[in-house]
Amino acid sequence: MTPPELTVITDGLTKRFGDLVAVDHIDLRVEAGTVTSLLGPNGAGKTTMVRMLATLSAPTSGTAIVCGHDVVREADAVRSAISMTGQFAALEDNLTARENLLLMARLRGYGRGAAGRLVESLIDRFDIGEFRDKLIKAVSGGQRRRVDLAASLVVQPQLLVLDEPTSGLDPRSRQVVWSTVRDLVDEGVTLLLTTQYLEEADALADDIVLIDHGRAVAAGTPSDLKARIGDQRVDVVAVDSRGLDGLVGALSGRFDLTIARERRRVSVPAPDELDDLASVAAAVRASGIPIDEIALRRPTLDDAFLALTGQPPATDTLSDDSLVEVAS
Amino acid sequence: MTTITSPAAGAVPRVAEALPPRPGPFARYLRETALLVGRGLRAIPRVPERLSDVTIQPVMFTLLFLYVFGSAIHVHGTYQDYLLPGLLGQSVAFGAIGAGVATSTDFSSGVVDRFRSLPVVRMSVISAQVIGQIIEQILGIVIVAAIGLGLGWRPHLGGGRAAELVALMLLGLLAFTWVGVLAGMLIRSSDAVQGIGFAVMLPLSFLAGTFVPIAGMKLVPRAIAEWDPLSALVAAVRQVCQGTPSGGSLQLDHPVAAMIAWCALILAVCVPLALRRFRTASV
Repeated sequence: MTPPELTVITDGLTKRFGDLVAVDHIDLRVEAGTVTSLLGPNGAGKTTMVRMLATLSAPTSGTAIVCGHDVVREADAVRSAISMTGQFAALEDNLTARENLLLMARLRGYGRGAAGRLVESLIDRFDIGEFRDKLIKAVSGGQRRRVDLAASLVVQPQLLVLDEPTSGLDPRSRQVVWSTVRDLVDEGVTLLLTTQYLEEADALADDIVLIDHGRAVAAGTPSDLKARIGDQRVDVVAVDSRGLDGLVGALSGRFDLTIARERRRVSVPAPDELDDLASVAAAVRASGIPIDEIALRRPTLDDAFLALTGQPPATDTLSDDSLVEVAS
Repeated sequence: MTTITSPAAGAVPRVAEALPPRPGPFARYLRETALLVGRGLRAIPRVPERLSDVTIQPVMFTLLFLYVFGSAIHVHGTYQDYLLPGLLGQSVAFGAIGAGVATSTDFSSGVVDRFRSLPVVRMSVISAQVIGQIIEQILGIVIVAAIGLGLGWRPHLGGGRAAELVALMLLGLLAFTWVGVLAGMLIRSSDAVQGIGFAVMLPLSFLAGTFVPIAGMKLVPRAIAEWDPLSALVAAVRQVCQGTPSGGSLQLDHPVAAMIAWCALILAVCVPLALRRFRTASV
C-alpha cells in the first residue's frame, strides 16, 4: 500500500521514443501538501515525465503511483484525482472564457446548476469577470492562462500538475500564477510543476529535482542544493570584454574562477566571505583594470546546475547566469 | 484598498459542490459525447470561414461547371441532373479534409490532451469529433442541394429513394470523416492536412466521373477512374438520384454495393487505427 503522505511515487520510470530515452529511470517522491519542481532545460524530459504521471503517455518501463493509483492499470482513478494544465493553454478558441469553464465542469460530471455555480465562483476567484464573455481567441496570453488555471481547478484536485505554467508570460501574469500556486498550497493541494526558470523553482518549490537528458541529476530543497555547491561567491564585472580578459589573466593564478563571458563577469568561491572579498578586491586593484562592479553574493540555482550537471542550463532561462563557462 | 487591483486568486473562498454519483460508463459516454458535440457546434457560427470549405467551394464548382464547362460536356439528360449527384458525392468525400483539419487542430493545441486527462470515457472525445464533423458537412451538402434545385436539378426520389439517398450519404460521410480523423491524428499541422487533403482528393474527385463521364477518358485516367472509390460513391449517388446506371467496370455496374463495400473497408481500416492512435498518442 502507498503511504498516504506520498502523492507521487515513481520507480525506474522510463520513456523511450525509438532510440531517444526521453525519461531515464526516474525515481520521484512527492509528499502530500508540498510543491515539487522538475527543473531543467528544454528537452530535458520534464514534459514527458508529467505526461506519464497524468496518464497521457504510457511508460516504456518502470511504475508510477499517483494518488495511490497506478497510472497504467488505474488510469481513470488517477484522472479523477488529478488536474493537469499543459504547456499550451488548452482551451477552445471559439468558446468564451465562461463557456470553456462550464464545459470543463460538466465534463467532470456536474449537472447544469452546480456547474453554473462553480463557474461563477471560479470567475470571481481568478478575476475573469471582465472578459468572461469574450472568445478565448480574443483575450491576452495572461488572461488565457488564468482561465486555463481555473479550468484545472473546477474540482479541487489532490494533485495539480502544471507544465511550465509561466513560459511565455509577461512578468505581471507570472506573478499572478505564482500567487495562485501559493494560495493552492495553503489550501492543501499538492503541486508538481515543471519549469526551466531557476528563479521560479527557487520561489515556489519545497523540493527541486534537476532533470537533464531524461535523468534526475540532483534533488533536494532549494537550500540543500545551494548548500551542495556551498559557499558564497565574489562576482567581479568587467567594463568590457578586453577588461574581462585582463581580469581572467590577473586572477586565474590565485583564484578558482568561473567565467560568464556574456555578462563580462568572473566569479570566485568565497568560503571566508569578507576576507575573500577583500583579497579579490585587492588583486583587482593591484591589476589596475577598471571594473563595473564587485559584490559578494549567495550561490544561485544556476551555480547548482553547473556544479551538479557539469553544464549550464539551457540558454533561454530567465536567469542571469546563462552562458557560463568554467575556467580550466 | 490600493489602486492596483491584483487578479490574484484566493481572496474569494472556494465554493464546494458535491459531485453527483457517477453514472455507468455507457450513460457517461452518451452525456460526454453530447457535451463535446455541443462544444463543436457552438463554434460553427463563430468561425463562418470554416464552413466556406463545405459551401463556397461546391457552389463555385456548381456554377463553373453548369455555366462555363457544361456546354462542352455531353451526357444523357440535362447536365444539372448529371452534375448535382456528382457534387453531392464530392462533398461527402471532401468531408475527410474538414475532419482532418479540425482533428489536427485539436491535437496540436493541447485541447485533446486536456480532455484525455479528465475522467471521461475516451471514446466520447473521438465520437464527438466524428459526429460534429458530419453535422458540419451535412450543412454544406444541404446548401449545395438547395442551389442545385434552384438551378434546375430534378432528382427522381420517389418510392423510398430519398431514404436510400440519405442513408448512403450518411454512410459515406461516416467513412470519409474517419479517414480525416485518422489523417488529422497522424499529421500534426492543420495546414499540412489541408494541403495533402486537396492534393489527394481533388484529382481523385475529378477522375471519379463527378463532372465528365468516365467513358470519354483516355486509357490511364480511365483505368484509375474505374477503380477510384470516389467513382463508386459518385455513381451510387447518381444511380439513386436519377436512376442512371454508370457502368464501365465491375464496381460501376453495381455502384451502390461497391460504395457500401468501400465504406466498410475504409471503416474497418481507419477506425481501429484511429482508436489505437488516440489511446497512445503522445508528443
